[in-house]
Amino acid sequence: MKISFLHRHRSVLGIYGLLIGFLVLSSFLSPQFRTSYNIFNLFRQAVAYGLLSIGQTIAILSAGIDLSVGSLVSLTACLTSGIMVGNPHLVVPIILFILALGIGVGAGNGLLITKLRVPPFIATLATSAFLQGAVLLYTKKPVGGVTRGFMFFANGQLGMIPFALIFWIAMIVLFLFLLQKTSLGLHIYAVGGNREVARLSGVNLFKTIMMVYILSAGMAALTGLFIASRLGIGDPLIGQGMELESITAVLMGGTTFAGGKGGLIGTVAGVLIISLINNILNLMNVQGFWQWIIKGVIVVVVVAFYREKE
Amino acid sequence: MEQEILRVEKITKKFPGVVALDQVSFSVKKGEVHALVGENGAGKSTLMKILAGALQPDEGTIYLKGQEVTIHHTQHARELGISIIYQEFNLLPDLSVAQNIFLGREKVGKGPLLNYRAMVQEAQELLHQLGAEISPYALVRELGVAQQQQVEIAKALSVNADVVIMDEPTASLGEHEVQKLFQIITSLKNRGVTVIYISHRLEEIFTITDSVTVLKDGKCMGTYPVRELDEMKLVKLMVGRTFSETFPPRSGEKGEVVLEIKNLSLPPVLREINLTVRRGEIVGLFGLVGAGRTELAKTIFGVYPHYQGHIAVRGKMLKLNSCRRAIFHGISYVPEDRKEEGLCLELSVKENSALPILDRFKQTLLLSDRAMETTVQRLVESLRIKTPSLRQRVKFLSGGNQQKVVLAKWLATEPQLIIFDEPTRGIDVGAKAEIYQIMRELANQGNGILMISSELPEILGLSDRIYVMYQGRVVREFTSPENVTEEEIMVYATGLSKV
Repeated sequence: MKISFLHRHRSVLGIYGLLIGFLVLSSFLSPQFRTSYNIFNLFRQAVAYGLLSIGQTIAILSAGIDLSVGSLVSLTACLTSGIMVGNPHLVVPIILFILALGIGVGAGNGLLITKLRVPPFIATLATSAFLQGAVLLYTKKPVGGVTRGFMFFANGQLGMIPFALIFWIAMIVLFLFLLQKTSLGLHIYAVGGNREVARLSGVNLFKTIMMVYILSAGMAALTGLFIASRLGIGDPLIGQGMELESITAVLMGGTTFAGGKGGLIGTVAGVLIISLINNILNLMNVQGFWQWIIKGVIVVVVVAFYREKE
Repeated sequence: MEQEILRVEKITKKFPGVVALDQVSFSVKKGEVHALVGENGAGKSTLMKILAGALQPDEGTIYLKGQEVTIHHTQHARELGISIIYQEFNLLPDLSVAQNIFLGREKVGKGPLLNYRAMVQEAQELLHQLGAEISPYALVRELGVAQQQQVEIAKALSVNADVVIMDEPTASLGEHEVQKLFQIITSLKNRGVTVIYISHRLEEIFTITDSVTVLKDGKCMGTYPVRELDEMKLVKLMVGRTFSETFPPRSGEKGEVVLEIKNLSLPPVLREINLTVRRGEIVGLFGLVGAGRTELAKTIFGVYPHYQGHIAVRGKMLKLNSCRRAIFHGISYVPEDRKEEGLCLELSVKENSALPILDRFKQTLLLSDRAMETTVQRLVESLRIKTPSLRQRVKFLSGGNQQKVVLAKWLATEPQLIIFDEPTRGIDVGAKAEIYQIMRELANQGNGILMISSELPEILGLSDRIYVMYQGRVVREFTSPENVTEEEIMVYATGLSKV
C-alpha cells in the first residue's frame, strides 16, 4: 500500500525534491529563515493561496479554469469586515452568508459553462470583471473590521502551531478524500481526462461541472474569510492577481491544463514553493521587481520540466 | 497517353502487430483515371499516406516520371506534383476561398504586403477552369460540401499537380453533385492530369476510371483495365480469402427480442431502419465506411436524441435521450475508437472499469475501495486481462488488453444488449480470437449482441444473422450466414444491387 502510494504519486516526487532543495538552500542563504517563528509565518502566508489553490486544482483537473476567484476573494473579504464592524454578534451568520455567496457565484459560473456553453476561461473572466465592479461599488478603500474571536481563524495558535495551518491541512485531507474516494472525484478526473468517454459512460456532465465551479468558488469565499480575519480589514483590491498565483501553484504541482491528470498533493508543493520563494526573497531584502523576475523564471523552468518528462 | 507517370515497387509498411502493405507494386499511366479499391483495412489509406509523404515505407521504391524519389513530407509531395484531397477537407472555414487556395503559399507583392488581387484573380481562373461557380471572396463556411470539394480541387491544381489523389470523393455528395465531379475529373484528364481515385462504390469505378488496382489485406491483387472487368469479377478480387481465424461454434438457442427498431431515421445519415436482436444471438451489421453503422449504434445508445421512429428494449418503448438512460435500460456500447471514446487513458484499470457504476460502491459518502476491487478483480480474471495491478493506468496496457478493459467496464453494468463497434480493430490475431470467444460466451449467457464490423470474415464467421447497410439504409438481411458468400454481401454493401 505504501509503495503503491509512492508509485502512484511518483510524478510529484520531483516537485517535492525541488521543495526540499529550496528549503536547504534557503537555510544557508539566511539564518533568520531557520527560526521556528519564520517557518510558521511562512505557513501562515501559504494558507491563503493554499485554500484558493485547492479549488483551482479541481477546476483545472476538470479541464476548466476559474479566473473569477481573485475578485471573489476581494468581494468576500470586504463584505465580511464591512458587515462585521457594526454587528459583532453576527459572526456565524456572516460566515454562512459569505459561504452561500461563494456557492451562488460558483453555480452562476457553472450555469454559464454548462447551459450557455461559454468556455470556462471566458465565463469566469466575465464573472471576475462583474465581481470586481461590484466590490468597488461597495467600497473604494479598505473598510470595516472584525471581532477578536474571528481573528483567531487566521492568527490564533494551538500550542505552538498556527490554527490556520491545521485548518489548511484539514481542508487538504478533506479534498483528497473527495477527489480519490467519492464518485464526484472520479467523475471530475474522467470529465477532465476525456469528456466524451465520461458522457458515454453515463457520467452526469452537468452535475459534475456545476460541482467543480461551486467547490472552486466556495474555496475562494473561504479564502476571503481567511484574509479578512488575517488583516482585520477588507481591502477591495486584495484578491487582485490571486487567481493567477493559484493557477501557477496548480501547474507547478504537475496538474496539466489539458485536465484529468495531476492532483492536490502536487498543488500543495507548488503553493509551498511559491510561499518559500516569497519568504526568502523578503528576508534577503530583494527588491520587488527582482522578486517577480525570479519567480517568473522558476515557474517556467518547473513547468518545462514536466513537459520534458512527457 | 501510354507514358508512365507513377510507379510503386514492392512497398512494404508494417505497424505493430499488422502488415499494412506487403510488397505492393503497381504503375499509373499519365493522364488516366486510376482507381484504387479494396475493403476497409485493405491498405488503401496507408498507401495514400505514403504517396502523400505523411508516412515513410519500410521497404520499396517510388518512381515519379521515371525517376526514383523519396517523399520526405507532405509539403515535399506537393512540390513533386502530387496533391491529395482527403475525405475530410483541409479547409479553414472562416477564411475566404482565395485565402484557402493559397494558404501557406501566399502571393506577396512589393514590400511586406500580400498581393490580394493576384490571388483572387488566379483563384477565379482555377475555379473557372473547373466550371465551378464560386466567388473567390466567399467564406468556405458558407459553401456546400460539393463546393468545398471544388475548392480543394482548385487548391490541389494551384500547385501545378501532375497527380491528384482523391479519397472517397463522392462519400458526401448527392447524385447531381457526383455528375458534376465526374465532369471535373474528365476535364482534368483531358488536360493531362492523372487522377488516382479511391472509392468503394464500385458503380463509379466503371463509370469514370480507366484502370483499377485492387488491394486485399495489404497485398496487391493486380492492375486491370476497366473494360476487362465486370462487377462480379472485381468483387471477387476484393474479397475471397481463405479463413485464417477460427470462430467459436454457433449455438441454436435464441430467446426473446431484446432490441426492436422500427422505422428509425436520423436525417440525413439514417433512413427507415428496421432491425431486431434476440437474446443469445450475435447479429452482424456490415457496411462500408459512411454507411451509417456507428450513427445507428450511437442512436440506440442515446447519443442522438433527435431521432425519429421507435426503439424498444425488451418489449418496452423507450425515448433514448441520454447515455445514462441507455445504460440504465441495459444497453452497452463498446466503441470503435477506444482511445477517444472508450477509456480515460490516465485513469487506472479499476477506475475505468467502475466508471459507469460508481454509485453502486457508495457506502454513506465514500466509495468502498474493497467492493470496487472485488468487482473489478472478478472481471479482470474472467476476461483474462493482463495487467500488473488494478491500479495500473490503462495507457500502459496493450491494445488487446485495453479493449478488454472497455469490455470489463460494460460487463460491470450487467447489460442485456451489447453493441460492439469494430470490436477487433487494431488488435493482434491472438487477442482477436479471445474477443470472439468472449462475445460468443456473452451471447450464450443470454445477452443480445449487435456487432458492427467491416471485416467480412468476422461478420460471416461469428454472426447468427447479418444485416447489410448502404447509404444509411439496411438493404439486406441474411438469416443463415453459413450459406452466404463474401461476394454476396459486398454486392449489397457497395450498392451494386439495390433492393
